[in-house]
Amino acid sequence: MTPASVPVTSRHDTGRPGVRVSGTAHDLAVRHRLLLVLSGLLTLCLFLSYEGVHGDADPLRTASAPAVLSLDTALYALDEAQRDAGAAAPTSDFQKQISVAAQSLAAAAGDDVGGPAGRQALQTVAGLITVYAVKVQQAQLQPAGSVLREAYLSYATSVLTDDGSGIRARLTALRSQLRATVRRQSAFGPLLWCGWTLTLLLALVLAAALLETQLFLRRRFRRRFNRGLLAAGGLLVAWVATALLFTAWTHRGMAHTRALLDRPLSGPLITDAGRHTASYLAHTGFRASAAVWILIGGVLLMALAETGLRRHIDDYRFRPR
Amino acid sequence: MSAPYTGPAPASAPTPAGTPGAAPRRPRARTLTVLAGCLVLLAAGLVAGVRALGQEPTVTLLANWTGTDERNLRATVLDPFARTHHVHVDYQGSSAESQVLGADVEAGTPPDVVVLTGPGELADYARQGQLKPLDGLLPQAGFGASWTTPLDGHVYWFPLKADLKSIVWYPGGTSARQRAAAARQPGQWCLGMGSGATSGWPGTDWIEDILLQRYGPDTYQRWARGELPWRSAEVKGAWTAWGRLVGAGGDPALVRRALKTPYQDAAEPVTRTPRGCTLEHQASFIRNQDSWKRADGRYEPSARLIPGAKADDAWEVSGDLVALLHDTSPARALIRYLASAAAQRAWSARESGFSVSPDAQPAPAARGADWHRSLAATLLDDRAVHCFDASDAMPPSVRDAFAEATIEYLAHPDHLDTLLTNLDSLRLAHGLTWLQSVCDHADAPGGRETP
Repeated sequence: MTPASVPVTSRHDTGRPGVRVSGTAHDLAVRHRLLLVLSGLLTLCLFLSYEGVHGDADPLRTASAPAVLSLDTALYALDEAQRDAGAAAPTSDFQKQISVAAQSLAAAAGDDVGGPAGRQALQTVAGLITVYAVKVQQAQLQPAGSVLREAYLSYATSVLTDDGSGIRARLTALRSQLRATVRRQSAFGPLLWCGWTLTLLLALVLAAALLETQLFLRRRFRRRFNRGLLAAGGLLVAWVATALLFTAWTHRGMAHTRALLDRPLSGPLITDAGRHTASYLAHTGFRASAAVWILIGGVLLMALAETGLRRHIDDYRFRPR
Repeated sequence: MSAPYTGPAPASAPTPAGTPGAAPRRPRARTLTVLAGCLVLLAAGLVAGVRALGQEPTVTLLANWTGTDERNLRATVLDPFARTHHVHVDYQGSSAESQVLGADVEAGTPPDVVVLTGPGELADYARQGQLKPLDGLLPQAGFGASWTTPLDGHVYWFPLKADLKSIVWYPGGTSARQRAAAARQPGQWCLGMGSGATSGWPGTDWIEDILLQRYGPDTYQRWARGELPWRSAEVKGAWTAWGRLVGAGGDPALVRRALKTPYQDAAEPVTRTPRGCTLEHQASFIRNQDSWKRADGRYEPSARLIPGAKADDAWEVSGDLVALLHDTSPARALIRYLASAAAQRAWSARESGFSVSPDAQPAPAARGADWHRSLAATLLDDRAVHCFDASDAMPPSVRDAFAEATIEYLAHPDHLDTLLTNLDSLRLAHGLTWLQSVCDHADAPGGRETP
């Protein structure tokens, strides 16, 4: 098919006297706008959908998951400490468990989960742990079987176990909040389903539009392939496929982490969980940082579509004679 | 513009565009750049917008209310504030409030607003420069000088709720003769010393009230100001009188019960048949506990049951005092709200406590039960002498040692001399801030620091 043989099937009135646009120019303009709009929409949808999953991966890996494990550790250490609290004399095991609990709280506070409210809650628990340790030590300084020993131990126990206001209740409530945060961060909710469905639909529509434009250009012009559109198609496939793959890997890691942290953990299980969590969430930071490449890819896609159609559009540009 | 590329010459040549308004178009690269820029900005804006959504001004509040009290506080005070001011309140309640606050202040991350029962502790923080003055934030009518003791010309705290402490509760239907007989039997006193981190304070209330009722406000204030030694005859007499009343060092079962029972459960034996105890020396807020509700609790002034009481119309009182540690706009809004008549009235009504704000008094028809009306009248009576809880007014180190000492004294009254000697050593320690005025009509406002 040669340019000379391209039929002109229609002419369109521009609305201005003496100015008319050829049918091919109009078709090119329509496709040009369509490709740019579709590319823009796809970029936006893909970016938001990608961020919806990966934006939570980093906080989960660096804050929420470690904080849940820290609170599990603190709870376990305090249970062990309470077991040692009844010893006849002050024991190093008790001190060790109190230190473990305090350090775990410090680690959880360092993760800055829950904002100022979470930090305040952790500081309150830290204060209560100090009170608990002091009361146990006061009890252990009293003779075995004495009423004062019983009294101090009962005060210590109430500080640890009181419903709602005791250390254990507060830590359990904090842990529940953190688990809810983990569930929220690792969830693939209806909004994300909608986002990704729309993204894939847009990707399919854009791919079809690129193919149709390619065929249109082949029909109308001499070249068999338009290299710009071909490159845009290749980029589109690689771009969307990579984003999908990264998202699937990250989401799988987050789902495994959630399943792991939803179970009650104690003792050596906490250490194992920490190791597993680290492996599940490995490289999520790198994949999250790839979000910017979605925007760059979108700009490239539009640039390729523009380049591919530019020369043909220029052929039909209206100029003064 | 250049002529088109010659290869794909179209069948229909470009239409002339010599008419006005058909000027050559500007390069598309610029359009593309603008479009891409808009796209990036839109995406970034959307992400930032979604993340910023839901964030609202926040104020942190630390107090000692937990459990039911905390739920009441949220429902009657904090939730209405959040709704009307659109400020989120992060509330933390703990019996270890002093320890928590101390740690927060040391760490440089104190709460914005704190509610403490101890003006002594607050005076200490004010001296350290941790508290912000409340000038201009409180209502014109104010709360009275004894409730808002000024320091260096500034007011640093005000009461959210006040309680009367010089009272003894008994079940409805108990005659005066029965009460007098019960008061002579240690087993008839309901006593619970447990209170987590602050265990022992019910004992300090007892000793303070005995001292006040026996020796009057002047002696009480000298002691609360750190001027009267713990080993003085008056103070030592108050300890031993309390020991005799509640059976310190006596029946081990009784001592064990008193030491191990949480203060809020102390009146539980009142509801048993036969009654496990009859009288409880406790502040007005205890009437809100289930046991006293079920037993139709009534009260009488403790002066009638304390042996040797001579004071005339002297009452020990306590208050939940609000102070500001971070001068932020949401924190100031919360302070204004807590000082308002509406918040004071709502909180006092729910907690069976009392507001000492003149603006917050309920209408005569809405004042509830007789006991409630008479307690409110006593608190607001200008002729009565109100003395703030002495241990709360003392420096925190002395207050805490006092509470610990009451626990040990109950089990080992023979340790009294040692305990009082230790307390005197603490009293004379350097750097403590003592409030100079704890009773009404006092003439020495403010605080002083020991050299």
